[in-house]
Amino acid sequence: MAENLKKILVDPLSESNPITIQILGICSALAVTVKMETALVMAMALTVVTAGSNLVISLLRKSIPGRIRMVVEVAVIATLVIVADQFIRAYLFDISRQLSVFVGLIITNCIVMGRAEAFAIQNPPLPSLLDGLGNGLGYSLILLIVAFFRELLGSGSLFGWRLLPGGYPGNGMALLAPGAFFALGLIIWVQRTLTKKFDTE
Amino acid sequence: MAKGDAYTLGYAAIICVVCSLLLSTTASLLKPRQDIEVELDRKLNVLKAFGVATEDERGKKMDGAEVDRRFAEHISEIILDGETGQAIPGLTGRELSREDLEQKRKLPLYLWKEDGRITRYAFPISGKGLWSTIYGYMALDADLSTIIGVTFYRHGETPGLGGEIATEAFQKQFVGKRVFKDGRLQRIEVVKGTVADRYPEGNDHAVDGISGATLTGRGLNQFMNRDLEKYGKYFTGIRGGG
Amino acid sequence: MDLLNLAIKSVFIENILLSTFLGMCSFLAISRRIEAATGLGMAVIFVQTITVPANWLIKHFFLEPGALAWTGVPALAALDLSFLSFICFIAVIASLVQLVEMVMDRFFPALYQTLGIFLPLITVNCAILGGSLFMMERNYAFSQSVVFGASSGGGWALAITAMAAIRKKLRYSNIPPGLKGLGITMILTGLMAMAFMCFSGISL
Repeated sequence: MAENLKKILVDPLSESNPITIQILGICSALAVTVKMETALVMAMALTVVTAGSNLVISLLRKSIPGRIRMVVEVAVIATLVIVADQFIRAYLFDISRQLSVFVGLIITNCIVMGRAEAFAIQNPPLPSLLDGLGNGLGYSLILLIVAFFRELLGSGSLFGWRLLPGGYPGNGMALLAPGAFFALGLIIWVQRTLTKKFDTE
Repeated sequence: MAKGDAYTLGYAAIICVVCSLLLSTTASLLKPRQDIEVELDRKLNVLKAFGVATEDERGKKMDGAEVDRRFAEHISEIILDGETGQAIPGLTGRELSREDLEQKRKLPLYLWKEDGRITRYAFPISGKGLWSTIYGYMALDADLSTIIGVTFYRHGETPGLGGEIATEAFQKQFVGKRVFKDGRLQRIEVVKGTVADRYPEGNDHAVDGISGATLTGRGLNQFMNRDLEKYGKYFTGIRGGG
Repeated sequence: MDLLNLAIKSVFIENILLSTFLGMCSFLAISRRIEAATGLGMAVIFVQTITVPANWLIKHFFLEPGALAWTGVPALAALDLSFLSFICFIAVIASLVQLVEMVMDRFFPALYQTLGIFLPLITVNCAILGGSLFMMERNYAFSQSVVFGASSGGGWALAITAMAAIRKKLRYSNIPPGLKGLGITMILTGLMAMAFMCFSGISL
């Protein structure tokens, strides 16, 4: 049993990573990765929301009437997202400005909804919580890797600390939208080559 | 799971009530804290506009208590009427609605006092850039003409292009420019290209544009001068036309 | 004239998919087949044009600070319900999509045949919720919100159709196995985003 739980938690980090393998929740992954700081806050918010919604939905799973299942799920997720957003606004004011609408968009992030539908609705609370946590962390991992390269190449710094020598001009492309697509595309390439999970298009 | 309509309806109702209770509680608990942050942010930006160093060399921000202290020590604020440019006594910035500020119906003006004398003035400037509304401050010396600082603290322009308006290198260029010439307002201009090409004989009102961000520059030109005109009425009054 | 500028801006320069990354999930999943891509694109335009203005009304008459002033009750007029905006918007979107589906089924069966299967997918498309949230954040007026809704949907449709066409050609090319499917699509999207950036030189 313990082995099983560990697998639920660790698998989404690489083998079944929500972003690179399951292709879920990419939208927000790209928009907030210009800086490590914003990426970290976003990753934490998403992990908390996914774990929380999985737990709540798993607790409710036996009582939810089938017809309004989706609506209830959305209500639970939206509530958690708003709570997270309010906290970020109150305690991390500067970052909330930079994240703008993207915290709100966690509601439609396929990872949260997807895990609720695919896992939490059929499984007991503890595995569901771990599944949510694992998927949240898998998402965070990719987010931070993308942000690492974008901030380092784009502004020559990490978490706002200048790392590359002052003469480094900063690569504007890494900060703009295409940079995000390229970074993620390359990460997917590396990761899929390592795990040998290929698309069969 | 064959359950009746009543059950479904009841279930939905309970979920709604629980969620809304939870939400309104968090919202009202966190509201004061959020308001403090917003207020602190405003004060911090005003201080910055006056040229106070609000960040240490590592980029760490001045803490809240210090901001409050410095603000209270030096800065007082008056509100001007957007139409006439006259001061409205007895009104403070906290009472202004967002709409008043955005439509420029009421204009806050911050005064920096040193030993009881006003030595500097600062006022908010804001308007549309290319994508977004740009917010900033302009600070003037005691002569109400020489610019001692322009800051932009909030914008959604393209990073690396229009976003460069938030950099110190761009903002520094405004220092020393004059908004009055021969007793009349003169336009502050962000030129397309460089000032050296445009005004080879030298000038006291133009700064270099940002390459690749002509439209952001055009936006700045528009709203900076519009706001200057609004405040200019009051300034002209104080300067006595001189 | 401003409205036309806004439309051009939302379709080309500030494409909701290529510059703000919204709606990526369905973009990646559905762009395999060109017919499906066109269908979903149309559905997004349709739903976006309805939901953005609908949410504008909700925002303007219920959620903004002071928005409830029309009720004439002073206690209500002082309320600021903007913290409820996410949940209200998503509820409006979900129910409108459902409504559109039913109306279409009843009155335009032909249209329903082509677009119907895509409608449920749209509720969870970030571009739709994102459109409404951007509308709120950027403080659009009502007329602007209609134009913004239609044209941001149009921009999304344009991007997905173009991508589906490229992917059709891609089937005949030799791609390293790890890059197949998702990987190469991301990189292509990046190239497309770069191409679209050229539009930002247009002076409006």
